[in-house]
Amino acid sequence: MTAPSRRLAFGLAALTALACGDIAAPVRGDLYEWRLEAPSIPGPGLDTLSFHWDKSDLPVRVWVEDTDNLPDHMARAIDVWEAAFLYREFEATLVSDSATADVIVVGGAPGPKLRMKRLHSALAPECAGATDLDVDVSSSELRLPIRVFIDPRSLPDDPGIETCLALTSIHEMGHALGIFAHSPDPEDIMFADPEVELTSARDRRTAEAAYHTPPTLEAVRP
Amino acid sequence: MLIPALLLAAGPGALHAQTDYYARVGAVWAGTLVRDVLGTEISVRQAIAPMVAIGASMPISPGYGAGVEATLASGGFDAEQDGSETDLGTIRSGSVLVGLDGPIWKSVRWRVGMGGLFYWPSEESGIFLQGGPIRFLAGAGADWRRPVMSSWDLMVSARYDFHRFTTDELERRGFSQAQGVSRISLSVGLARGIR
Repeated sequence: MTAPSRRLAFGLAALTALACGDIAAPVRGDLYEWRLEAPSIPGPGLDTLSFHWDKSDLPVRVWVEDTDNLPDHMARAIDVWEAAFLYREFEATLVSDSATADVIVVGGAPGPKLRMKRLHSALAPECAGATDLDVDVSSSELRLPIRVFIDPRSLPDDPGIETCLALTSIHEMGHALGIFAHSPDPEDIMFADPEVELTSARDRRTAEAAYHTPPTLEAVRP
Repeated sequence: MLIPALLLAAGPGALHAQTDYYARVGAVWAGTLVRDVLGTEISVRQAIAPMVAIGASMPISPGYGAGVEATLASGGFDAEQDGSETDLGTIRSGSVLVGLDGPIWKSVRWRVGMGGLFYWPSEESGIFLQGGPIRFLAGAGADWRRPVMSSWDLMVSARYDFHRFTTDELERRGFSQAQGVSRISLSVGLARGIR
Protein backbone atom coordinates (compact mmCIF):
# COMPACT_ATOMS: atom_id res chain seq x y z
CA MET A 1 0.00 0.00 0.00
CA THR A 2 1.37 3.39 -0.97
CA ALA A 3 1.74 6.23 1.49
CA PRO A 4 -1.25 8.17 0.07
CA SER A 5 -3.36 5.03 0.28
CA ARG A 6 -2.39 4.54 3.92
CA ARG A 7 -3.32 8.13 4.65
CA LEU A 8 -6.63 7.57 2.89
CA ALA A 9 -7.32 4.47 5.00
CA PHE A 10 -6.56 6.41 8.21
CA GLY A 11 -8.78 9.23 7.01
CA LEU A 12 -11.65 6.84 6.34
CA ALA A 13 -11.31 5.34 9.80
CA ALA A 14 -11.40 8.82 11.35
CA LEU A 15 -14.50 9.76 9.34
CA THR A 16 -16.26 6.58 10.44
CA ALA A 17 -15.49 7.29 14.09
CA LEU A 18 -16.88 10.82 13.76
CA ALA A 19 -20.08 9.48 12.17
CA CYS A 20 -20.98 7.29 15.13
CA GLY A 21 -22.68 9.89 17.39
CA ASP A 22 -26.42 9.74 17.97
CA ILE A 23 -28.99 12.47 18.18
CA ALA A 24 -30.35 12.94 21.72
CA ALA A 25 -34.15 12.76 21.99
CA PRO A 26 -35.82 15.13 24.46
CA VAL A 27 -37.43 13.99 27.68
CA ARG A 28 -41.15 14.44 27.11
CA GLY A 29 -42.20 14.78 30.71
CA ASP A 30 -44.45 17.82 30.77
CA LEU A 31 -47.88 16.70 29.61
CA TYR A 32 -51.43 16.49 30.93
CA GLU A 33 -53.92 13.68 31.44
CA TRP A 34 -55.59 12.85 28.13
CA ARG A 35 -57.51 9.73 29.07
CA LEU A 36 -61.24 9.53 29.65
CA GLU A 37 -62.38 8.76 33.15
CA ALA A 38 -65.40 6.49 33.31
CA PRO A 39 -67.07 4.41 36.00
CA SER A 40 -65.29 1.12 36.29
CA ILE A 41 -67.31 -1.89 35.14
CA PRO A 42 -67.31 -4.13 37.07
CA GLY A 43 -66.09 -2.80 40.36
CA PRO A 44 -65.82 0.51 42.18
CA GLY A 45 -63.81 3.53 41.19
CA LEU A 46 -62.90 4.96 37.81
CA ASP A 47 -61.36 3.52 34.71
CA THR A 48 -59.04 5.63 32.60
CA LEU A 49 -59.85 4.88 28.98
CA SER A 50 -57.39 5.77 26.26
CA PHE A 51 -57.84 5.86 22.54
CA HIS A 52 -55.97 6.69 19.41
CA TRP A 53 -56.72 5.99 15.82
CA ASP A 54 -55.01 2.89 14.55
CA LYS A 55 -52.73 3.18 11.55
CA SER A 56 -55.21 1.10 9.58
CA ASP A 57 -57.90 3.74 10.26
CA LEU A 58 -55.87 6.56 8.70
CA PRO A 59 -56.69 8.92 7.25
CA VAL A 60 -59.58 9.53 9.61
CA ARG A 61 -62.61 10.56 7.56
CA VAL A 62 -64.20 13.79 8.74
CA TRP A 63 -67.51 15.08 7.43
CA VAL A 64 -68.24 18.74 8.14
CA GLU A 65 -71.52 20.57 7.74
CA ASP A 66 -71.15 23.40 5.25
CA THR A 67 -72.09 26.26 7.53
CA ASP A 68 -70.31 29.11 9.27
CA ASN A 69 -67.13 28.42 7.34
CA LEU A 70 -66.74 25.21 9.33
CA PRO A 71 -65.15 23.16 6.51
CA ASP A 72 -62.27 25.64 6.28
CA HIS A 73 -61.87 25.77 10.04
CA MET A 74 -61.85 21.98 10.35
CA ALA A 75 -59.42 21.59 7.44
CA ARG A 76 -57.05 23.91 9.24
CA ALA A 77 -57.62 22.08 12.52
CA ILE A 78 -56.61 18.84 10.79
CA ASP A 79 -53.45 20.50 9.46
CA VAL A 80 -52.60 21.81 12.93
CA TRP A 81 -52.90 18.40 14.55
CA GLU A 82 -51.11 16.56 11.76
CA ALA A 83 -48.24 18.99 12.29
CA ALA A 84 -48.15 18.07 15.98
CA PHE A 85 -46.68 14.67 15.13
CA LEU A 86 -43.21 13.80 13.93
CA TYR A 87 -43.90 10.37 12.48
CA ARG A 88 -47.28 10.67 10.74
CA GLU A 89 -49.15 9.10 13.64
CA PHE A 90 -52.35 10.96 12.76
CA GLU A 91 -53.88 11.92 9.44
CA ALA A 92 -57.40 13.00 8.59
CA THR A 93 -59.25 14.09 5.52
CA LEU A 94 -62.56 15.76 4.80
CA VAL A 95 -65.12 13.56 3.08
CA SER A 96 -68.34 14.45 1.32
CA ASP A 97 -70.43 11.50 2.49
CA SER A 98 -71.40 11.58 6.14
CA ALA A 99 -72.41 7.92 5.97
CA THR A 100 -68.76 6.90 5.66
CA ALA A 101 -67.37 9.39 8.16
CA ASP A 102 -65.49 8.53 11.34
CA VAL A 103 -66.08 12.02 12.70
CA ILE A 104 -69.14 14.16 12.00
CA VAL A 105 -68.93 17.89 12.62
CA VAL A 106 -72.11 19.94 12.65
CA GLY A 107 -72.87 23.56 13.41
CA GLY A 108 -75.11 24.49 16.28
CA ALA A 109 -75.67 23.42 19.83
CA PRO A 110 -75.58 19.74 20.71
CA GLY A 111 -78.89 18.00 21.06
CA PRO A 112 -80.05 15.87 23.97
CA LYS A 113 -77.24 13.93 25.60
CA LEU A 114 -77.77 10.55 24.02
CA ARG A 115 -74.13 9.60 24.20
CA MET A 116 -72.35 8.22 27.18
CA LYS A 117 -69.80 10.99 27.38
CA ARG A 118 -69.99 14.59 26.26
CA LEU A 119 -66.87 16.76 26.40
CA HIS A 120 -68.02 20.38 26.74
CA SER A 121 -65.56 23.02 25.88
CA ALA A 122 -64.93 26.45 24.41
CA LEU A 123 -67.52 28.28 26.39
CA ALA A 124 -66.69 31.73 25.06
CA PRO A 125 -69.49 34.23 24.44
CA GLU A 126 -68.84 34.03 20.68
CA CYS A 127 -69.00 30.25 20.26
CA ALA A 128 -68.97 26.91 22.03
CA GLY A 129 -68.05 23.36 21.23
CA ALA A 130 -68.77 19.84 22.35
CA THR A 131 -67.69 16.34 21.39
CA ASP A 132 -69.86 13.29 21.98
CA LEU A 133 -68.21 9.92 22.49
CA ASP A 134 -70.29 6.76 22.38
CA VAL A 135 -68.23 4.57 24.66
CA ASP A 136 -69.18 1.11 25.82
CA VAL A 137 -66.97 0.57 28.85
CA SER A 138 -67.89 -3.08 29.28
CA SER A 139 -66.70 -4.01 25.79
CA SER A 140 -64.02 -1.30 25.55
CA GLU A 141 -65.56 -0.02 22.34
CA LEU A 142 -65.74 3.48 20.97
CA ARG A 143 -68.67 3.40 18.58
CA LEU A 144 -68.23 5.60 15.56
CA PRO A 145 -68.84 8.21 14.45
CA ILE A 146 -67.52 10.68 16.95
CA ARG A 147 -69.87 13.68 16.87
CA VAL A 148 -68.55 17.20 17.14
CA PHE A 149 -70.69 20.30 17.62
CA ILE A 150 -69.47 23.81 16.91
CA ASP A 151 -72.00 26.39 18.01
CA PRO A 152 -71.60 29.98 16.82
CA ARG A 153 -73.37 31.92 19.49
CA SER A 154 -73.01 35.26 17.76
CA LEU A 155 -73.62 36.66 14.29
CA PRO A 156 -71.16 35.88 11.49
CA ASP A 157 -69.86 39.46 11.35
CA ASP A 158 -69.39 39.84 15.09
CA PRO A 159 -65.79 40.54 16.06
CA GLY A 160 -64.04 37.51 17.44
CA ILE A 161 -66.37 34.90 15.96
CA GLU A 162 -63.92 33.62 13.33
CA THR A 163 -61.11 33.35 15.85
CA CYS A 164 -63.40 31.56 18.26
CA LEU A 165 -64.56 29.10 15.59
CA ALA A 166 -60.97 28.47 14.51
CA LEU A 167 -59.60 27.66 17.95
CA THR A 168 -62.72 25.74 18.93
CA SER A 169 -62.36 23.62 15.79
CA ILE A 170 -58.77 22.81 16.73
CA HIS A 171 -59.84 22.03 20.29
CA GLU A 172 -62.65 19.69 19.24
CA MET A 173 -60.43 17.98 16.67
CA GLY A 174 -58.03 17.37 19.57
CA HIS A 175 -60.81 15.46 21.31
CA ALA A 176 -61.65 13.59 18.10
CA LEU A 177 -58.07 12.39 17.68
CA GLY A 178 -57.93 10.94 21.18
CA ILE A 179 -57.31 13.65 23.77
CA PHE A 180 -60.40 12.90 25.83
CA ALA A 181 -59.64 15.25 28.72
CA HIS A 182 -58.86 18.93 29.25
CA SER A 183 -55.59 20.55 30.07
CA PRO A 184 -55.50 22.52 33.33
CA ASP A 185 -53.27 25.15 31.69
CA PRO A 186 -54.84 28.04 29.70
CA GLU A 187 -51.70 28.15 27.55
CA ASP A 188 -52.83 24.89 25.93
CA ILE A 189 -55.42 24.59 23.15
CA MET A 190 -56.95 21.69 25.09
CA PHE A 191 -57.75 23.92 28.07
CA ALA A 192 -61.50 23.60 28.67
CA ASP A 193 -62.15 27.17 27.56
CA PRO A 194 -59.30 27.68 25.13
CA GLU A 195 -57.75 31.11 24.69
CA VAL A 196 -54.70 30.32 22.55
CA GLU A 197 -55.03 29.87 18.82
CA LEU A 198 -52.55 27.04 18.24
CA THR A 199 -51.31 23.91 19.93
CA SER A 200 -48.64 24.35 22.57
CA ALA A 201 -45.57 22.18 23.02
CA ARG A 202 -47.43 20.50 25.89
CA ASP A 203 -50.41 19.79 23.61
CA ARG A 204 -48.07 18.20 21.10
CA ARG A 205 -46.30 16.12 23.72
CA THR A 206 -49.65 14.95 25.08
CA ALA A 207 -50.84 13.97 21.60
CA GLU A 208 -47.60 12.07 21.05
CA ALA A 209 -48.07 10.28 24.36
CA ALA A 210 -51.63 9.35 23.43
CA TYR A 211 -50.42 7.82 20.17
CA HIS A 212 -47.57 5.90 21.75
CA THR A 213 -49.59 4.40 24.60
CA PRO A 214 -51.52 1.20 23.96
CA PRO A 215 -55.20 2.17 23.68
CA THR A 216 -57.83 0.58 25.87
CA LEU A 217 -60.67 1.53 23.51
CA GLU A 218 -61.15 0.18 20.05
CA ALA A 219 -63.00 2.10 17.35
CA VAL A 220 -66.00 0.19 16.03
CA ARG A 221 -67.86 1.23 12.93
CA PRO A 222 -71.62 0.75 12.81
CA MET B 1 -9.88 22.90 -2.86
CA LEU B 2 -12.11 25.72 -4.03
CA ILE B 3 -9.51 27.00 -6.47
CA PRO B 4 -9.61 23.94 -8.74
CA ALA B 5 -13.38 23.97 -8.62
CA LEU B 6 -13.47 27.58 -9.73
CA LEU B 7 -10.95 26.86 -12.45
CA LEU B 8 -13.08 23.97 -13.64
CA ALA B 9 -16.09 26.19 -13.76
CA ALA B 10 -14.17 28.71 -15.82
CA GLY B 11 -13.54 25.92 -18.27
CA PRO B 12 -11.94 27.18 -21.47
CA GLY B 13 -8.55 26.62 -22.96
CA ALA B 14 -5.87 24.12 -22.09
CA LEU B 15 -7.36 23.50 -18.69
CA HIS B 16 -10.59 22.42 -20.34
CA ALA B 17 -8.71 20.00 -22.57
CA GLN B 18 -7.16 18.31 -19.54
CA THR B 19 -10.36 18.12 -17.58
CA ASP B 20 -11.84 14.74 -16.97
CA TYR B 21 -15.67 14.57 -16.98
CA TYR B 22 -17.85 11.72 -15.85
CA ALA B 23 -21.43 10.73 -15.15
CA ARG B 24 -22.69 7.69 -13.26
CA VAL B 25 -25.89 6.10 -12.05
CA GLY B 26 -26.23 3.86 -9.04
CA ALA B 27 -27.77 3.46 -5.65
CA VAL B 28 -27.10 4.92 -2.24
CA TRP B 29 -27.73 3.43 1.19
CA ALA B 30 -27.96 5.71 4.19
CA GLY B 31 -27.94 5.00 7.91
CA THR B 32 -30.59 5.97 10.46
CA LEU B 33 -31.57 9.65 10.34
CA VAL B 34 -33.25 9.94 13.74
CA ARG B 35 -33.43 7.82 16.85
CA ASP B 36 -36.22 8.72 19.21
CA VAL B 37 -37.91 7.13 22.18
CA LEU B 38 -41.69 7.34 22.57
CA GLY B 39 -42.51 4.39 24.75
CA THR B 40 -40.16 2.31 22.67
CA GLU B 41 -37.45 3.23 20.22
CA ILE B 42 -38.35 4.81 16.89
CA SER B 43 -35.92 4.90 13.99
CA VAL B 44 -36.31 7.01 10.90
CA ARG B 45 -34.58 5.37 7.96
CA GLN B 46 -34.15 6.03 4.29
CA ALA B 47 -34.68 3.33 1.72
CA ILE B 48 -31.90 2.48 -0.70
CA ALA B 49 -32.31 5.21 -3.30
CA PRO B 50 -31.37 5.55 -6.94
CA MET B 51 -28.80 8.23 -7.56
CA VAL B 52 -27.01 10.03 -10.32
CA ALA B 53 -23.58 11.56 -10.05
CA ILE B 54 -21.68 13.93 -12.28
CA GLY B 55 -18.23 15.28 -11.78
CA ALA B 56 -15.11 16.75 -13.23
CA SER B 57 -11.47 16.58 -12.28
CA MET B 58 -8.28 18.15 -13.51
CA PRO B 59 -4.64 17.27 -12.89
CA ILE B 60 -2.79 19.29 -10.29
CA SER B 61 0.42 17.26 -10.24
CA PRO B 62 1.57 14.02 -11.86
CA GLY B 63 -0.90 11.33 -10.84
CA TYR B 64 -3.08 13.59 -8.72
CA GLY B 65 -6.15 15.61 -9.47
CA ALA B 66 -8.64 17.99 -7.97
CA GLY B 67 -12.28 18.15 -8.83
CA VAL B 68 -15.87 18.50 -7.92
CA GLU B 69 -18.61 15.88 -7.80
CA ALA B 70 -22.35 16.35 -7.41
CA THR B 71 -24.94 13.69 -6.68
CA LEU B 72 -28.71 13.60 -6.57
CA ALA B 73 -30.74 10.83 -4.96
CA SER B 74 -34.44 10.35 -4.33
CA GLY B 75 -36.12 7.67 -2.28
CA GLY B 76 -38.63 6.88 0.41
CA PHE B 77 -38.12 7.13 4.12
CA ASP B 78 -40.06 5.64 6.98
CA ALA B 79 -40.37 5.43 10.74
CA GLU B 80 -39.98 2.03 12.34
CA GLN B 81 -41.26 1.22 15.81
CA ASP B 82 -41.78 -2.23 17.30
CA GLY B 83 -41.35 -3.83 13.89
CA SER B 84 -44.07 -1.68 12.33
CA GLU B 85 -43.17 0.81 9.60
CA THR B 86 -44.87 4.08 8.71
CA ASP B 87 -44.24 5.58 5.30
CA LEU B 88 -43.12 9.19 5.75
CA GLY B 89 -42.96 10.09 2.08
CA THR B 90 -40.13 10.79 -0.30
CA ILE B 91 -36.94 12.63 0.33
CA ARG B 92 -34.48 13.94 -2.21
CA SER B 93 -30.92 14.70 -1.31
CA GLY B 94 -28.20 16.41 -3.27
CA SER B 95 -24.54 16.70 -2.48
CA VAL B 96 -21.63 18.66 -3.79
CA LEU B 97 -18.13 17.54 -2.85
CA VAL B 98 -14.91 19.30 -3.76
CA GLY B 99 -11.89 17.10 -3.39
CA LEU B 100 -8.72 15.42 -4.48
CA ASP B 101 -7.99 12.14 -6.21
CA GLY B 102 -4.91 10.02 -6.65
CA PRO B 103 -3.64 6.57 -7.54
CA ILE B 104 -4.08 3.41 -5.50
CA TRP B 105 -3.22 0.61 -7.84
CA LYS B 106 -3.32 0.31 -11.63
CA SER B 107 -6.76 1.57 -12.74
CA VAL B 108 -8.03 2.20 -9.24
CA ARG B 109 -7.93 5.70 -7.78
CA TRP B 110 -8.88 7.13 -4.43
CA ARG B 111 -10.95 10.23 -3.95
CA VAL B 112 -11.62 12.38 -0.86
CA GLY B 113 -13.70 15.48 -0.51
CA MET B 114 -15.73 17.87 1.57
CA GLY B 115 -18.85 19.81 0.79
CA GLY B 116 -22.52 20.04 1.55
CA LEU B 117 -25.59 17.83 1.54
CA PHE B 118 -29.05 19.25 0.94
CA TYR B 119 -32.33 17.58 1.82
CA TRP B 120 -35.53 18.34 -0.09
CA PRO B 121 -38.51 16.50 1.42
CA SER B 122 -41.51 15.91 -0.83
CA GLU B 123 -43.67 17.61 1.78
CA GLU B 124 -42.87 19.78 4.73
CA SER B 125 -44.24 17.69 7.57
CA GLY B 126 -43.02 15.69 10.53
CA ILE B 127 -39.29 16.01 11.10
CA PHE B 128 -39.13 18.23 8.00
CA LEU B 129 -42.00 20.50 9.06
CA GLN B 130 -39.73 23.53 8.83
CA GLY B 131 -37.96 22.38 5.70
CA GLY B 132 -34.95 20.29 4.83
CA PRO B 133 -31.52 21.03 6.24
CA ILE B 134 -28.18 21.69 4.61
CA ARG B 135 -25.38 19.77 6.33
CA PHE B 136 -21.63 19.64 6.07
CA LEU B 137 -20.50 16.48 4.30
CA ALA B 138 -17.18 14.66 4.15
CA GLY B 139 -16.53 11.64 2.03
CA ALA B 140 -14.09 9.34 0.36
CA GLY B 141 -14.14 6.54 -2.14
CA ALA B 142 -12.52 4.71 -4.98
CA ASP B 143 -12.95 4.66 -8.75
CA TRP B 144 -12.07 1.91 -11.17
CA ARG B 145 -11.83 2.75 -14.84
CA ARG B 146 -11.35 0.78 -18.00
CA PRO B 147 -11.21 2.18 -21.56
CA VAL B 148 -14.17 1.08 -23.64
CA MET B 149 -14.00 3.51 -26.55
CA SER B 150 -11.43 5.81 -28.05
CA SER B 151 -12.06 8.55 -25.55
CA TRP B 152 -14.45 7.02 -23.06
CA ASP B 153 -13.85 4.89 -20.00
CA LEU B 154 -16.20 2.65 -18.11
CA MET B 155 -16.18 3.95 -14.52
CA VAL B 156 -17.24 2.02 -11.45
CA SER B 157 -17.25 3.91 -8.19
CA ALA B 158 -17.77 3.23 -4.51
CA ARG B 159 -18.28 6.10 -2.12
CA TYR B 160 -18.57 6.54 1.61
CA ASP B 161 -19.59 9.82 3.16
CA PHE B 162 -20.96 11.04 6.44
CA HIS B 163 -22.77 14.01 7.88
CA ARG B 164 -24.48 14.90 11.11
CA PHE B 165 -28.23 15.12 10.65
CA THR B 166 -30.79 17.25 12.40
CA THR B 167 -33.57 19.60 11.32
CA ASP B 168 -35.00 22.87 12.57
CA GLU B 169 -38.16 21.02 13.67
CA LEU B 170 -36.19 18.47 15.69
CA GLU B 171 -34.25 21.27 17.39
CA ARG B 172 -37.49 23.14 18.11
CA ARG B 173 -38.79 20.05 19.85
CA GLY B 174 -35.76 19.76 22.06
CA PHE B 175 -33.60 17.23 20.23
CA SER B 176 -29.97 17.96 20.97
CA GLN B 177 -26.78 17.11 19.14
CA ALA B 178 -27.18 15.47 15.75
CA GLN B 179 -27.33 12.00 14.33
CA GLY B 180 -24.20 10.73 12.62
CA VAL B 181 -25.33 9.41 9.26
CA SER B 182 -23.15 7.30 7.01
CA ARG B 183 -23.96 6.82 3.35
CA ILE B 184 -22.51 4.25 0.99
CA SER B 185 -23.06 4.33 -2.75
CA LEU B 186 -22.15 2.15 -5.67
CA SER B 187 -22.43 3.48 -9.19
CA VAL B 188 -21.36 2.85 -12.74
CA GLY B 189 -20.99 5.23 -15.65
CA LEU B 190 -18.82 6.72 -18.31
CA ALA B 191 -15.90 9.06 -18.04
CA ARG B 192 -14.31 11.06 -20.80
CA GLY B 193 -10.79 9.77 -20.43
CA ILE B 194 -7.64 11.76 -20.85
CA ARG B 195 -5.29 9.72 -23.02
